This record gives sequence, C-alpha cells and structure tokens, in this order.
Amino acid sequence: MADVTHASNAPPAHLAAGTPPILELVNIAKYFPGVIANENVSLNVFPGEIHALLGENGAGKSTLMNVVTGLYQPDAGEIIIDGYGTTFPAPDAAIAAGIGMVHQHFRLVPRFTVAENLHLGWSETPRRLSGKDIEERASALSKKFGLPITPSAVVSSLSAGEQQRVEILRVLSRGARLLILDEPTAVLSPVEVGELFSALRRFRSEGGAVVIISHKLDEIMALADRVSVLRQGRLVGTHQTCDVTPDSLVTEMIGRPVTLATSYPRQSPAPAGGEAEPLSLKQVTVRDAAGVVRLDDVSLALRPGEVLGIAGVTGNGQPELAEVLTGLKAAESGTVYLNGKAANRADPAMFAHAGVGHVPEDRLKRALMPGLSVAENMALREYDRPPIGGRFSFSMAQARKFAQMLADRAGVKLPGTQVQIRGLSGGNQQRLVLEREIRIASHVLVASYPSRGLDIGAISAMRDMLARARDAGVAVVLMSEDLDEIFALSDRIAVLYAGRLMGVMDRADADRESIGALMSGRNLSEAA
Amino acid sequence: MSAVSPRTRLTVVPSHRIAVGRGLSILAALGIVAITLAAMGRSPIELAGLVVRSTVGSRFGIEDLALFMTPLMLTGAAVWVGIRVNLWNIGAEGQLYAGATAATAVGLFTHWPAIVALPAMVVAGALAGAAWIFIPAAARAWLGVSEIVTSLLLNFVASLLVYYLATGPWADRVTGALASTERLHVALPELWGAVHLGFLLALGIVVGLGVGLAKSRFGYETAVCGSNPQAAHYAGIKVAPRILAVLLLSGALAGLAGVFEVAGTVHRLQGGLANNYGYLGIVVALLARGSCFALIPAALLMALILDTGIVLQTTQISSSAVLAITGLLVLAIAAGDEMAAYVRVNRN
Ligand SMILES: Nc1ncnc2c1ncn2[C@@H]1O[C@H](COP(=O)(O)OP(=O)(O)OP(=O)(O)O)[C@@H](O)[C@H]1O
Ligand SMILES: [Mg+2]
Repeated sequence: MADVTHASNAPPAHLAAGTPPILELVNIAKYFPGVIANENVSLNVFPGEIHALLGENGAGKSTLMNVVTGLYQPDAGEIIIDGYGTTFPAPDAAIAAGIGMVHQHFRLVPRFTVAENLHLGWSETPRRLSGKDIEERASALSKKFGLPITPSAVVSSLSAGEQQRVEILRVLSRGARLLILDEPTAVLSPVEVGELFSALRRFRSEGGAVVIISHKLDEIMALADRVSVLRQGRLVGTHQTCDVTPDSLVTEMIGRPVTLATSYPRQSPAPAGGEAEPLSLKQVTVRDAAGVVRLDDVSLALRPGEVLGIAGVTGNGQPELAEVLTGLKAAESGTVYLNGKAANRADPAMFAHAGVGHVPEDRLKRALMPGLSVAENMALREYDRPPIGGRFSFSMAQARKFAQMLADRAGVKLPGTQVQIRGLSGGNQQRLVLEREIRIASHVLVASYPSRGLDIGAISAMRDMLARARDAGVAVVLMSEDLDEIFALSDRIAVLYAGRLMGVMDRADADRESIGALMSGRNLSEAA
Repeated sequence: MSAVSPRTRLTVVPSHRIAVGRGLSILAALGIVAITLAAMGRSPIELAGLVVRSTVGSRFGIEDLALFMTPLMLTGAAVWVGIRVNLWNIGAEGQLYAGATAATAVGLFTHWPAIVALPAMVVAGALAGAAWIFIPAAARAWLGVSEIVTSLLLNFVASLLVYYLATGPWADRVTGALASTERLHVALPELWGAVHLGFLLALGIVVGLGVGLAKSRFGYETAVCGSNPQAAHYAGIKVAPRILAVLLLSGALAGLAGVFEVAGTVHRLQGGLANNYGYLGIVVALLARGSCFALIPAALLMALILDTGIVLQTTQISSSAVLAITGLLVLAIAAGDEMAAYVRVNRN
C-alpha cells in the first residue's frame, strides 16, 4: 500500500509515532440492492486509541462495523489486522482475531443469568460445569476488567446499563483487543454513561482499541482521541479530536451547520385554557406482570396546544405512563379519561381513532414489523381508510405511494418501498415512525425518547415537528432523558420518580436544580 | 491461501438462485436414484422412459397428475396460509378426512339434485374442516397452546373415525367392499377424461387466495399479526381472533380437499382416503415459499413424484423404495435451497 501518511492517519498524539495499527481498512465497499452503504472507506485504528465514527443516519457506520466483525462481507477492499490481510467469513473468525462488537440492540438471552450469558459459546467449556463454577468465573472476570456485575441476576431484570456491561464483559472475556460499540450511550442514564466511559478509558490505558459510534458530539469530544466522519457511505475525513469542534463535525457530517434551538416560541398565541382536556389520568395505578407497582397513584391532565415534558431517570415508570396514555395498558385502579369519557379498557384502537399518536420507546419491537416491507409498515396506522384501504380492501399500490410520501417528508432515502424495513438504518426507522405517528396525532402525541438514535439534523427536524404539532393544538407528551430537550420544548414539566408523580410545574417556574432534586426522589420542601 | 475460499450465508436469497439450486439438487437426487437402480440390476434409462411415458407422456398420465394435484394444491394452500403468519397446521390430514366425511354424509343420505347437493357438500366439507381445527385454533389464539401438537394428534382421531364409519355404520352393504361406503349419489362433473371440476376449482381457489390476501384488509392485518403481534396490539389489531380466523380458513381449505376427493376422484368414503395428502401439503407449502401462486407448480412437482412412485411400483420396485425416493428428492430440494443461500466470499 502507499506509505503516504498525513497527520490524521497518524496515531493519536499520546501514542509513539511508529505504532503499527491494529486494524486497517483499505478501500472497503459494501453494496445493498440500490444502496451504496460503504465505498472507498480507508481507516486505521491503533492500540491504545478511542476512535469515534460519526455520520448522519444511514451514512453507513453500522454497516462498516458489521463488515469489520464478519457479519457482512465487503464487496471490495481489504481488512488488515496487525499487518496481515484477512477475511472474516463469520463473526467467530473476527472474535478469534480479537475483534468484539456490542450491537445497538442487545443480544443477550433474557431468561438466563448474567453468568450463563457470559459463558454462552465459551470455547473452552469444560466437561463438567456447575452453576457455581461459572458464577465464580464471572465474578473473576468482572474484577479483572473492572466492570461490576451480579453473576446470579437474571438478565431480563437488569437495567439497560447493566445489560450493556454484561455485553461488554462478554466481548472482553473472549480476549477482544478491539472493542466496537454501536451507539452505546443511547439507552444509558448519565451516571451509567460516566461508568461506561471510565471502563473504556481503562481498557485504552491497557493497550486496547475502541471504535465508538455515537450521535452525541459532546460525549465524543470528551472521550475520543480521533474521529472519522462518514457521509453517504464515503469517508470524508479523519481528525485528531483536538483539531475539531462539534460545529465543524456537524458541518462535515451533514454539509451545513445545525444548532439545536433552546426554545421553540409559538407561532400563534397559546390557547386560552378552559378548553376540554383531551386526555387525563385520575389516581392511576399500574402494576407489571410480576405484580410490582410501576405507576403509583398518578393524576395528570393534558392540555391542548401544550407540550408536557416528563423528566425522570429511565426506569421510573415512563413506559407504563406512555402505555396507559395510549390505551395499550389498562389502569389497575383509577381512571383514564379520553375526551372526558372514562376509558378503562386497554383498547389501543379506540385511542388511535380518537387521534392519539404514540412514538414508543422501543420502536423496533413495538411499532414496526421488521420482516415486512416499508410500505406495509408505514400503512400500519392508516390501512383502514382511503386511499390505502377500506372496510375490506387493502391496496398495496396506494400503501407504496403513501410510504414514499412519508419517506420524502422525513428526508429518508429509500432504495424502494418494497424492501424490508429491517434493512433501513436505525435512525431512518425512527424517523419514519415519527412521521407516521405525527400524522394521526390530531389530539394527543405521546413521544417517548424521540431523539434516540437520530442524528443532530433529524433531532432538529423532530423538535420542529413537535413544536408545529403543539401550535396546531395537539397535546404533546415528551419523555426524554435529555433535560435540555425538555426545557427547550415544554410548557409544563412533570417529574416521575419510582412511579410517582413528584410534581408538575410550569416551565417558567422550573430550574435544573429543582427538577434534578425531584428526579432523585427528594421533595422540593426537603430540597430547599 | 487455502484452496477453499470462505463462504457466507445470504439473509435474503434471490429467487433465481433458488431455481438453480433446486434444479441442480433434483438432478443430483435423480442421479443417486439412477445409480441405485443400476446397482440393483435395473436399467435406469428404460425405467426413466417408462416413467416419462406414463406421466407427462400420455393422456392417462396427465389425467393422473391433475387428479393428484387437486388435493395437493388445497392442502398445500391450507398449510401455506398458516405458515404465512407463523402458524403451523400439521393437521390438514385430519381436516381432509373431516371434510370428506361431511361431504359423504350429504352425498349418501340425501337425494337432492346435483345442483343442490354439490354446493351443499362443498359448504359442509369446508365447515367440517374448519370445525376439526377449531379446538386447536382457539387454544392457540387465547391460551397460547402450540397448534403443532394439537392439530397433529387430531389426525389420528379423524383417520380412525373414518375407518369406523366405513367399516361400521356407513359400510357398503351392496358390494361388500372393504372399509368403504357405497358410491355417492352425486359426483362432480368430469371435464377431461377423469379430470373433474374439482381441479379447476382448486386452481381457482389458490389463485383467489393469493389475490385475496394481497388485496384485502384481512390479508394485511394477519400479516401484521404474524410478523409482530406486539405491533399489531399497538395498532389496535386484535391478534387472537385473527389467529383463529386464519386457522379456520386453513382447516376449511383442507376440508375442501376432502370434498373433491370423495365427490370427484374416489366417489366414496374409504379408510386411508387421505393418502398422506395432508402431510404432503406441508412439503408443497414449503416448496412454494412466500408465494401463493407457487403452490401450483409445487403441487405439480409433488404429483409427479407420487405418480413416478406408482409407476415404479408396477415394475416390482418395492413401495418402500418409492418412499425413499420421495424422501431423497425432498431432502435434496431442502439442501438445494440452503446451499443457494451461500455465496463465495469475494477477495480482491
Ligand atoms: N441488510 C441490509 N439490507 C439492505 N440495505 C441495508 C442493510 N443494512 C443497511 N442497509 C442500508 O445501508 C445504508 C447504511 O446503513 P447503516 O445501518 O450502516 O447506517 P448508520 O450509519 O448505522 O445509520 P444510523 O445512524 O441511522 O444507525 C442505509 O441506507 C441502509 O438502508
Ligand atoms: Mg446504525
């Protein structure tokens, strides 16, 4: 290969100049029918480096890393590990070469314990093995890599952050020297993000290499040594992090600068109040399947033309609140009023017909059929009315037209509306769901973590959409872990803690401190 | 580098690869059969000539193929509508018997003119097929009980029930034929030799099913339920009634296969009437993969295999050899499909 090196291809400053890269990609290309996912991508990663991979939704980041880990085969180009050209016919070959990946969607067995998950596919499994042995080994691994876990806990009972630690530990315990993380912080609380980053820094100081994909630029600026930017499948640049700013990165990613507004002033004056509440909860309590109380005596009223922000650490009852507000779950006690009428059965169809849209937290599992086409997925909310369908009929041609229209509006480029939606990039799936839901949300829109997985351009567009819906008189419920987002959009802010509503206050009266105190379960009187 | 270049598995296999894979694997299976026959001292070429002459090469052969295809298209469709939404009706055999029994009851015990009796047989047979799967279907829809086991077990009940009727209360007292009822009073009109209206109806049903599911709200809603029940709930589509409906439809299709058998081909209810068509329907549905219309060529292939088996039996080749050949072909096709999914990893 040509031995021209320019500064960005050199190892990061803290490494010796002649350090050989652990991974080198040369002119990698990967094509899907009608899509150039990657082309001419050349990149190197050094041991002792944290390398960030940035790009818009659909830029080809996940695909590139799937090529590196043997999940996909490159259509052109070379993968060089420690100076030797290699091919990975399957992921186990990549694991054997010391490359491990933690995917955006976790791949653990929910019913198994942490220790069992850690040892799945363990190549040196001895003949006899007791539950205690693997738990001991799991504890040893946890100490060795500095990632605290509970070996005997069942995975389904863990928080997202804990599950992720198990995934990382599993990869590291197989001797990974290059750790690839695809949007690892999207589902973590701020504390968990801090823990993850210190584990990654420790891994780096021991000579490990990390490639991290993220849309959160401030995190990248704080963590990465170098950043590479992909755009429409091609590498547009690799930089030392100290040479760039978040703004310059955004411009490189999207082609124009984007800044997120800190407030979204109304285009028309706020409704005077006194209008009917489209949806309200009176002393609603909800338990999960295990009988644990998830929502505890919550009373809440939505107002038309207003954004109600729901702040709270993840896992404090947000999914259940979204489910009762959209008719997916019935309240165990208390009453849900839809347009003033009690609606105590779980009847999502009735809520949808009353103009309640829902962008659920787990869009892939809840709101999409991964194996069906984009057209069929986009028709999900309007298949029962013209032009797509009627009482008995369904028109695929109309569904395709409709899907194309939504995709154009969401700024998603499609290779066709007949492709399976699971072939779209994570962010593009999110954009399409949002577009679909906002159309039917004529009265209420419940948006759970709508910015997860979106690039900054798409987040900005999403917030504009929410503000427009608000101006049009829709009652918007916005759940987010990002307080900036809550403060930028909300008219009122409610805080959930352990399933209880700690308080609802006007945006004007709220400040970060009081919200933060409520989020950690302290009452304002105590906090003061 | 190593002599064998690495291969990787495609997630979506283009249909031309499937076609080539199947073609090659059928050739390979036929090659194995030829070698085995030669080793047994038989001339494969002579036998092949005989098989061709007595299947596609003669009018009687073609008539036979059409008669075999008729129930296979319907049981294939019965299994296929289920697989489409992730449900496995293994009980088409039993539903076929149920449909045949109901049609026989109408055909034996009424003296209506054909124009009334035949539609009545069709309706009764479809309802009986649906009724035969009702309990497995309801248990699957509301209790989550696997339909695979329950629908399978009812096959044995249905088969024994038909033996009981055909040897007991409904037994033929006129000719004294074993395990058979009398000839029915009505029959489906014959169109071309022994080929009866049932063949055309079965073709029409398969085509109608394909078009109907693609163009109906029911087809869309069931596709959603099959692909992701959670998303269906989210969209306000009630999953359980649709599971029930799809399985009842599946049972009705298999029941129709039974109707056409007794009303068109066999003209009486006999023990063993189902002739494994219910189980072969699973093979037909798997061969057709995602496409309803592909059930037609798949049923034709299966009919050819069955017919070949019968021809070979007339040349003193044992029936177990025939079963072995059938199994070999199906295995080869499955292997061909799988191998068609693997592509060579391209290295530059
Ligand atoms: N299995 C597949 N089949 C078809 N097309 C695919 C497949 N996987 C990815 N693509 C396409 O390749 C392109 C790149 O997708 P990729 O998932 O790599 O994007 P990404 O950069 O990870 O985006 P995001 O930030 O949204 O996750 C997209 O246009 C996507 O539609
Ligand atoms: Mg991605």
